Amino acid sequence: MSELAVLQAVRLKGRVGRDDLAATLGEDVAATVDQLIASGLLLDGKALRVSTEGRARLEELLTAERRHADQAVLSAAHRDFRSVNTEFKALVTDWQLKDGRPNTNEDADYDAAVLTRLDGVHQAVTPIIANAAAQLPRLDRYGAKLQAALDKVAAGDTAWLSRPLIDSYHTVWFELHEELIQAAGLTRESEAKSGDAH
Amino acid sequence: MTPVLPLDGDATSPPGVLGHKGHGIDMMRRNGLPVPPAFCITAEVGARYRTEPAATMDAIWHDVLAGVGRLEAATSRSFGRGPHPLLVSVRSGAAVSMPGMMDTLLDLGVNDAVEDALAAEGTATFARDTRRRFDDSYRRIVGSPPPDDPYLQLRAAVEAVFASWDSPRAVAYRAHHGLDDRGGTAAVVQAMVFGNINTDSGAGVVFSRNPMTGAADEFGEWVPGGQGDDVVSGTVDVEPIAALRDRQPAVYDQLIGAARALERLTSDVQEIEFTIQDGTLWLLQTRPAKRSAQAAVRLALQLLGDGLIDEAETLRRVTPAHVEALLQPSLQPETRLAAELLATGLAAGPGIASGRAYTEVDEAIDAADRGEDVILVRNHTSPDDIHGMLVARGIVTETGGATSHAAVVSRELGRAAVVGCGRGVAESLAGKLVTVDGYDGEVRDGSLRLSAWSEDSTPELRELADIARRVSPLRAHTGGDYPRLDPHSDTEVRSALASGHSDVVSASPLLAMLAAMRLDS
Repeated sequence: MSELAVLQAVRLKGRVGRDDLAATLGEDVAATVDQLIASGLLLDGKALRVSTEGRARLEELLTAERRHADQAVLSAAHRDFRSVNTEFKALVTDWQLKDGRPNTNEDADYDAAVLTRLDGVHQAVTPIIANAAAQLPRLDRYGAKLQAALDKVAAGDTAWLSRPLIDSYHTVWFELHEELIQAAGLTRESEAKSGDAH
Repeated sequence: MTPVLPLDGDATSPPGVLGHKGHGIDMMRRNGLPVPPAFCITAEVGARYRTEPAATMDAIWHDVLAGVGRLEAATSRSFGRGPHPLLVSVRSGAAVSMPGMMDTLLDLGVNDAVEDALAAEGTATFARDTRRRFDDSYRRIVGSPPPDDPYLQLRAAVEAVFASWDSPRAVAYRAHHGLDDRGGTAAVVQAMVFGNINTDSGAGVVFSRNPMTGAADEFGEWVPGGQGDDVVSGTVDVEPIAALRDRQPAVYDQLIGAARALERLTSDVQEIEFTIQDGTLWLLQTRPAKRSAQAAVRLALQLLGDGLIDEAETLRRVTPAHVEALLQPSLQPETRLAAELLATGLAAGPGIASGRAYTEVDEAIDAADRGEDVILVRNHTSPDDIHGMLVARGIVTETGGATSHAAVVSRELGRAAVVGCGRGVAESLAGKLVTVDGYDGEVRDGSLRLSAWSEDSTPELRELADIARRVSPLRAHTGGDYPRLDPHSDTEVRSALASGHSDVVSASPLLAMLAAMRLDS
């Protein structure tokens, strides 16, 4: 497992245990993690965290990763993502709130109508990830994680739509959005200012 | 059926055809209130548009042009050209208002020549401001820059209204509420009046009584020199309606008079959108005011006292859900309004939470570890902020909307959240003890106490119970030699009614009687 993939995953999770880290990356990461701790880039504890030096190193690695990528394609992927993002955020909000009150999930028809929209979102985002991953192969993993969350939601385990701290559809989506913002050479501040903060 | 109806007070069609906005405008004009002339493209046209958009627009366009012609005649202005150009607003108007529908496009009908004419009539600043407002909202709503031809602008705006019926949010809303999906929305086209034309102008919203506390006084806010969308945008400073009384007393009196008249005409507390153009008052729309549970009870009792509704209607105005909400501990409107308002934003996560404001995730986690109640305040949230959100009781952000990540995660964690409070809020709140009100979208100073009403000791609920004992098919008492409903539920109430009981004992008599009235009707 590459240093880049591990550092970026820990950075996006903030604080994460070794098992959850291996799960989100889909591989054994013990050797890389030990080496990153030894070199002071990761902080060990109840959970792993990225050190200040680790953040600097991560920035270098991300810049190097983008050096061979087609920036126009990544910018286009980010732009396309934003339009799907609006619908996805509305969908999650409708899932959580009904008439401004928490959705009690007692209305099966309402819930089904909302969840049906997730299929459309997934169809729309799949080619966007493929385009971005053709430039940055590391991003391919997001497609697999979204698919896994979608499958669980479709099987009736709706916690996988938006629960935090697990790789729910929303958690993965939000991290992917962060990746695409960075890949397009932008910052979340500029994204937030333009009204598209996710 | 005529596809285009003038809203001149004679449109006898029901709200299902005119839409609720069109219906309100027609009612106001019928009663001689000052409302800019308007016409309505009916909901039937909106429904037809969904299957045959181009053919439908072609078929009605002649009537739309005739409608514009009537607005021109009524205002002595001309659409799309000087020297006295007519601008219009375009609004959606489904029979029931619903989220996801296009709301309002103002200042339509402007291009370079019209801007010049507006500048010659008023000032260059006014013309430029009006043009900018139109360009911004047209781009936002229609999704492209506006064409030069005002008639093409109008056509695109009407189509955007009709198409918004099928936005995913609106579709889901109708599915949830069991509303007929086959219909469509009406579109209302109204002559513009300008709150941004000079300092004797402005726009605002007035409620005929206070919809938060239920006090009998009128309540509202306005933006001097602004237009209607400024009042809700949160980007400009609004003034309380009392400031209008100081500045333009005659206009204020006329406005309050109109609010009282609309209350009498509709037998309900109204929320009225108005514009003042160069000292002249115009009413743009009216609707029943959304209200807090406290206000629902107090206003129903006031309207009864004023003779506007009878006892049975008074009880219909208060739902069991209102009473149930009042019996739960909550931030009472009086407590809320007495505390200094530190920030406002969008209510994004229901709940009330108090604690000390922290702006850095690691500091928030350390404070929570020390046992402090923490409010996390961030410019926006990033994925790795989740651990700070977990330890926080409430969450506040400077940027982002009601569907932002911060909002989604707050709701998922059950945290009170207010988002989009504006730049500088993190800095100004840092270190303060604050209360986050995730229902009203406010951050107030101090740790505010929650309290509840009770059926025994709150005068308003006792008064309602007395009325209910006169009107409800079931009289419920706190004691006495009657069958006991225990615990309170609709099923218990239904079986008591079915068994022919007229008196029962209940731990929540008012709730039992309200339920009985609803089951009986």
